[in-house]
Amino acid sequence: MAMFLVRRLLGLVPVLGVAIVLTFAATQALPGDPIAVMLSDHSADLELAARLRAEYGLDQPIWRQFLTYVLHIAQGDFGLSFRYVHTPVIDVLWDALKVSPILALAALAVAFPLGAFAGSCAAINRNRWPDTLVILFLVAGISIPNFALATFLVYVLSIKLGVLPVAGWGSIDRAILPVLILAIPSAAYLARLSRTFMLEVLQQDYVRTARAKGMRERTVIWRHAFANTLVPLLTQTGVIFGGLLSTTFVVETIFNIPGLGRLAIQSIFARDYPVAMAIILLFTAFYALINLAVDLLCLAIDPRLRAERARP
Amino acid sequence: MTELAVPTMALAPPSERGLFWRRFAREPRACAGTVIVLILIAIAVLAPLLAPYAYDDTDLLSAWAPPSPEHWVGTDKLGRDILSRLLFGARTSLVVSVSVLAITFTVGVTLGMLAGYLGGIVDSIVSRLVDIIFAFPDIVFAILLTAVLGPSMLTVIVALSMVWWPGVARLTRALVQVQRNETFVEAAIVCGTPTARILLHHILPNIVPPLIVRASIGIGFIIMSEATLSLLGLGVQEPQPSWGSMIRDGLEALRTDPYLALSGSAMLAVTIIGFNLLGDGLRDLLDPKLQVR
Amino acid sequence: MSLRSSKALGLALLALIGWSHADAKTLRVNINADPSQIDPITYSELNSYQVLQQIYEGFTAITPEGRAVPALAASWEPLASGNGFRFKLREAVKFHSGRPFTTKDVKYTFEQLLRPGGQGGLSAQFLGNVVGAADLKAGKATELAGVKIVDDHTVEVSFTKPDVLFPIYQFFFMDSGIVAELGADWMTKADAGTGPYTFKQWKRGVEVDLAANPNYWGGAPKIDGVQFLIIPTGDTALSQYDAGELDLVNLPENTFRRALANPAYQSQLIQVPKAQVRYMGMNQNLYAPFKDKRVREAISLSLDRDAMIKGLYSGAGFRLNGQTVPGIPGYNQDMPALKYDPDRAKALIAEAGYAGGKGMPPIEIQCTDPFKDEITYYANQLGKVLGMQVTPKVVERATFIKAMNAGEVAFFPWGWTADYPDAMTYLGEMWYSKSPFNRARWSNPAYDKVIEQAQTEPDDQKRYGLYHQAEKILMDDWATAPLPATTNIALRKPNVKNATVTPFGFSVFRDALIQ
Repeated sequence: MAMFLVRRLLGLVPVLGVAIVLTFAATQALPGDPIAVMLSDHSADLELAARLRAEYGLDQPIWRQFLTYVLHIAQGDFGLSFRYVHTPVIDVLWDALKVSPILALAALAVAFPLGAFAGSCAAINRNRWPDTLVILFLVAGISIPNFALATFLVYVLSIKLGVLPVAGWGSIDRAILPVLILAIPSAAYLARLSRTFMLEVLQQDYVRTARAKGMRERTVIWRHAFANTLVPLLTQTGVIFGGLLSTTFVVETIFNIPGLGRLAIQSIFARDYPVAMAIILLFTAFYALINLAVDLLCLAIDPRLRAERARP
Repeated sequence: MTELAVPTMALAPPSERGLFWRRFAREPRACAGTVIVLILIAIAVLAPLLAPYAYDDTDLLSAWAPPSPEHWVGTDKLGRDILSRLLFGARTSLVVSVSVLAITFTVGVTLGMLAGYLGGIVDSIVSRLVDIIFAFPDIVFAILLTAVLGPSMLTVIVALSMVWWPGVARLTRALVQVQRNETFVEAAIVCGTPTARILLHHILPNIVPPLIVRASIGIGFIIMSEATLSLLGLGVQEPQPSWGSMIRDGLEALRTDPYLALSGSAMLAVTIIGFNLLGDGLRDLLDPKLQVR
Repeated sequence: MSLRSSKALGLALLALIGWSHADAKTLRVNINADPSQIDPITYSELNSYQVLQQIYEGFTAITPEGRAVPALAASWEPLASGNGFRFKLREAVKFHSGRPFTTKDVKYTFEQLLRPGGQGGLSAQFLGNVVGAADLKAGKATELAGVKIVDDHTVEVSFTKPDVLFPIYQFFFMDSGIVAELGADWMTKADAGTGPYTFKQWKRGVEVDLAANPNYWGGAPKIDGVQFLIIPTGDTALSQYDAGELDLVNLPENTFRRALANPAYQSQLIQVPKAQVRYMGMNQNLYAPFKDKRVREAISLSLDRDAMIKGLYSGAGFRLNGQTVPGIPGYNQDMPALKYDPDRAKALIAEAGYAGGKGMPPIEIQCTDPFKDEITYYANQLGKVLGMQVTPKVVERATFIKAMNAGEVAFFPWGWTADYPDAMTYLGEMWYSKSPFNRARWSNPAYDKVIEQAQTEPDDQKRYGLYHQAEKILMDDWATAPLPATTNIALRKPNVKNATVTPFGFSVFRDALIQ
């Protein structure tokens, strides 16, 4: 098990390495010049442009810029932002870092119980009306893009009914709409999985045995069948959480929430390479770590997988 | 992206295929989905005939007009007819998604087949490539690519293709690996059949059904991704209409003139639902595990 | 004093204390993006300007009505040589750090604006004529020779050639002792200004907070501070105003419709024409048909400006017939009104040899994202009327400005907001052939001559006459197609007093009061 952990962690290194190279290459390839952004209305001053270029090390050959960048990252120094002059990238990210994970976690906390429950209900009542209802919700939830959903919900709840505020961040009632809009597609995806798992589980021998033993139907369903779907469902949450992080940016943009996603988009548009690269690397690393954590969770929970690993 | 079952369906004799279509007709989801998809394709193809106005015809004095007999869904900020733009927007979505599908399936299936069948170093290289691309959150990758290449329809197609082909490759590889162990493949190898022929004539037809399912579900997500990129201003540029950019324009005026955002959102939602219903229906039909009862 | 009157006095005093205590609040306004930096030397865009205006001051200040009034300069007079001014600074003015404001700070600020490696922002361009400026910029000198300190409150500034408008140029004087006190990144911790508000904190992506300066020479502000909330979308800003989270909201064009249509906003509306000139840039070096005056005139005749004002700006705009703006001294109200005449446009273009647009190569009309609707309209309209094949292209802002400054953009709408209250800010900076901001690269020797004459004419009326002459040359040659300018629209809560927006793109909060 420990060997497995070590091997997997080592396996992360090439992935991150390639991520760094690709991101660096991409930001270098971005049309538009960060010096032009810094100079803004002033870009007629070529002499000044040259001095700035030297100051930020942008006149070095690309390979040297890359090496410098990697060396600094290894020491935890992500450099200075281009857009916010004199400000370290970490400072620019700091406030946003506190927002996006909370948003994603809150969405997951809503999506998981909702999805698991709905999916199981559908499986239990297969081909009857609860099943159809859940399937409709399922398809709609996965299909409707989150910004389209946001459009409808904001129009009805905020504008017509005036029940919820339109945008911003900082209080519970502001968080309701964004969290809901993030949670619904994930809940739908989880519901579909939960339904499938539940259908499988309900055909297992031990369920029939439990019924034969005379257990109450409700205990059979919830204590035995449902509980057994939770583990495989949990293994999927890693994928969902990772997906959530990268879709928060649309929601953040629509609701004017100062999170990482919105910051990443703005940085790319503003040619603020250091900030954009730092956020993308962060996302990638996080994504990879989540997948690793979920795999470990699987192994820890399911002894059968562990035995398989042990085989030569 | 775990596949719960890898259905194997050998080339079915005609009576079985007839059975398939009859079951298809009875499956409400697949039918509903098909209807929606067919209507969408019709709209996209016939847009120039159906649209009452040109999609870029501005009329500033009629900006933000509410629905009326002249403009069934009203007009947008520049006085352009929303209905016409919705119809041409279907064209954009379809062109982008068909192009992306074509590219991803050509590249993905080819690489997946080679990796799955040949194994060894080919497999290592392809798998590593796929893993790397998977390590990136997909939308972020697409945004970075469109920012690099400059926004346009072509860029969107390229970016989305680069993001989606690994999934297709991975699925193909898994399917091919199962097929490789089948007896008829072994027999073909023993007979000295060239590899290419084995791949194209023996294995490929057997893996088509799950790939079709994958494609029909995939289109929904491709359309959604294109709309997201357009929403952010990275997609199709003015004056070409795209539902995503129409929603973007409409969100600003949601309070006073909701028709643009709401109609764009509705078209997008219905379209994607249609494709997903079709895909789901196909998957249920082709997946033996769910056919117990 | 009788018992009754002293009681009355006592009550009045209590009421005053209670009233002022209950009143003390923070004024919340919106800006649409983070300022790129809050630095009086390097600032170069409007959001920074908005914030800096509350913290820093210069020789003169611009009132909302567009007049320049003394601020940190109590008085000034031309030097005997005619090429310069002697300024007498206001006494007893202190920086927020506590240090007194004296002439050495003036010289320090000017040197910071010009020194090589510094990124002298918008203010640096005003020092172009000062003696020794070129040497300082090139690194050949370490101090600015043309600024002579006579004593702590008297300074003489000399020019290489006459610059009659120098006193009304806007500067932000900074504390020369701040770097020694706080280091090179002092601007993240404090500010170096003399103004009514001080820098408190900046939460990126969220807000910039300023606190009131109780020791301000013009009297302590009546509110606790100003909070600039960063809200990128106009619709969101308006919604937050409705919810009571903003006291004054600056509205971008895409919210005009919502604001103007709603009767509930009527009494809260502030409408001020922008001191901004707008024009269509047609670079003759990059697109051959633009060389022909008839083509340029035809383009101007094809644009329905009234429809634009009504459709794009919901009526909150006004026609410009030339390149000067009402309210800015030097404006010519007798310029002939521009027409919308598609037939004549077609005739002109046929005369020029491009009937129906044939022979005109396809061209892109470029601009930044906020103007995408406008360029889409132009592209479509010019296609409809003239048969020109125009494609709208949205370009990222910094890239666009750089390309414009380098004279590399062929066809684009753009504008210029006045830096100081005199029409030279438009006629000179936009159309004088030697100006770095002449982005359309139009040049006319007769025009240049009149401008040069005006630059040295100290008599206002005579100078305005020269401006009228120049503008006539400009429009007779169809250097550009003037575009409609928009109005600044803001909403202000009824309990907020003495806070307004000016035509110049900044707001005056010095005397703001929240009841």
